[in-house]
Amino acid sequence: MLVIDDIRKRFGAVEALAGCSFSVERGRMLGFLGPNGAGKTTAMRAIFGLVALDAGDVSWDGRAVGPEDRLRFGYMPEERGLYPRMAVGEQLEYFGRLHGLEAVAARTASTGRLERLGLGDRADAKVEALSHGNQQRVQLAAALTHEPELLVLDEPFAGLDPVAVHTLAELLRGEAERGAAVLFSSHQLELVEDICEDVVIVDHGRVVASGTVDDLRRASQRRRIEIELDGATAAWVPDVPGVRVVERHNGDLRLLAGRDVDPERVLREAERSGKVVEFNYGPPSLAELFLELVER
Amino acid sequence: MNRRRTTFLVARREIRERGRSKLFLASTVIMLLLVGASTALQGALSKEPTYRVAVTAPAPSGLAAALERAAKPFDDAKVELRVVASRAAGTLALEDEDVDALLLLASDRLFFRSDVDPKAAAVVDTAVRELRRHLPPEPELTTVTLRPEDETTDAAVLVAYVGSLLLLTTLAVYGQWVVGGVVEEKNSRVVEVVLSTVHPRHLLAGKVIGIGLLGLGQLVLVAGLAAALLAAGVYDAPASLAGDLALVIPWFALGFALYATSYAAAGALASRQQSADAAGQPVTYTLLAVYFAGYVALSADAEGVLAGVLTMFPLSAPLVLPARSALVGVPLWQHVLALVLVLASIYALVRFAGRVYGHGLLHGGPRLDPRVAWRLGRQS
Repeated sequence: MLVIDDIRKRFGAVEALAGCSFSVERGRMLGFLGPNGAGKTTAMRAIFGLVALDAGDVSWDGRAVGPEDRLRFGYMPEERGLYPRMAVGEQLEYFGRLHGLEAVAARTASTGRLERLGLGDRADAKVEALSHGNQQRVQLAAALTHEPELLVLDEPFAGLDPVAVHTLAELLRGEAERGAAVLFSSHQLELVEDICEDVVIVDHGRVVASGTVDDLRRASQRRRIEIELDGATAAWVPDVPGVRVVERHNGDLRLLAGRDVDPERVLREAERSGKVVEFNYGPPSLAELFLELVER
Repeated sequence: MNRRRTTFLVARREIRERGRSKLFLASTVIMLLLVGASTALQGALSKEPTYRVAVTAPAPSGLAAALERAAKPFDDAKVELRVVASRAAGTLALEDEDVDALLLLASDRLFFRSDVDPKAAAVVDTAVRELRRHLPPEPELTTVTLRPEDETTDAAVLVAYVGSLLLLTTLAVYGQWVVGGVVEEKNSRVVEVVLSTVHPRHLLAGKVIGIGLLGLGQLVLVAGLAAALLAAGVYDAPASLAGDLALVIPWFALGFALYATSYAAAGALASRQQSADAAGQPVTYTLLAVYFAGYVALSADAEGVLAGVLTMFPLSAPLVLPARSALVGVPLWQHVLALVLVLASIYALVRFAGRVYGHGLLHGGPRLDPRVAWRLGRQS
């Protein structure tokens, strides 16, 4: 298990990490969320010693993370990078060996990984000769060749088309099922809600929420209400304290209400003003929760 | 995984990637061809030489013909015989370089100016032996020089300057490869992936060792071939110069360790917009300044104080010491002191560069002040 304990880092006047703590368990996927500049990248780099922390600890299986542990970690940084003029196969082999694999194991792993990514015939191509999408795949492969116990990916879904998003999500799912602890940052909240068991939301260098997606949603002080209403006036608003309209589209309304608001009261109000075709009540989505927590 | 393995893997990647580059292969072939061409040139220049020999009157009849015959086996050499009135007149002609040797049959001696030309001596000795119908093995003639032998021959000057020029270019070219490699890693951002498992110091060490071994390999081939040819007597030069030329090889290794770490630090401090050439400039200028200071000092007075200081000063020792050794020789204590000083400098510089390197590589913004990098650099 990876444990980040009260890490702090200041860059001049900017406090990037202000006592950030969370943990990632083996076999689980954790979505690391937060607005831009919240400290996500700094926290991820700290795991690899790429940032000298002012305070706090990063530990793996109960011991402070050292160079030996990092050999069993895989990292895909936000700014992607490979050796442009090096052949794809040799490059993966090189990274495999840097992570401690012996020559034969590294070659086998590199070949196997390329086959699975559908790049089996491009092993001798230089990285710079590949398309952008394929370079992304090789980048991911470089983090996976040695079957890491902890996988850290900074914005792995950024810039991918929907098919690639699906493939990558499946792949990460597979890594977690293999037993790896998977930590990735993302701004695609629906996606995170779909594929992650756990989320951590950071803002201003601090964790503002963490837990399983379901627990966080249920623990929220707000509830979402969706109503499809026929025949109501365009400006209809339920006259219930603690309820506000988030979105209105023709007759469809999305409302946010306090947790203590009785949904039946809202339903009665709606029925008085028109024909209720559909009525949904439940905890807020992850995206709504995110906006609630990081509201500026 | 231990550090040595990591450093080895980094060095091996550098050697494999760069060793098969066209640039490396082409430059090696060209340099070897140049050495080969120099022997051909030497051969062309020394073809059918003419030995000008003076002899005091009266010259024995048949001497000229005997000399011609004796010269035949020596690449069809020609002999010009000149009869002088007296020994004094002959010495004067020798001093004025009108003749190359003076034969005194009365005392069985053959005079040269400052260096004995073994081929000329053999030709004259054979001719005299033929006239007197004496058989080998005892030589008929004793060779004598008017002045003590010159310590600095033309060949020594050539070895000194070609050797230090070879060092300068190899250090600058391979040093620039180091900057190029560092800047490429930084600009392609691959360095963040590499540094997630490799300590900056080991990346630096592997890079310098890998590229350094390539440079050393090329130099061993080129300087080694030239030294072997010198030792084998292919050139018209003392074979002892082969040792001086070979001295270029260990001093390349030392000089490279010193300059390449500086080049690497310069590359790490460069901004992403800066080209590798621009990043390496401060180090290249230092190298050039040191080379010219050494050139001037050695040309003015190879045994002077400035030349002595530059022989031992760590930044200049790699270029000046082998050259001075070829020109006038370097005392053992100066060899030792220069070695100790340069090793101490390498140690200090590797520590400094290692620290600056780690921080500089991960720094994406504008050009970095070395002092800031030093302060912020990781220590572990």
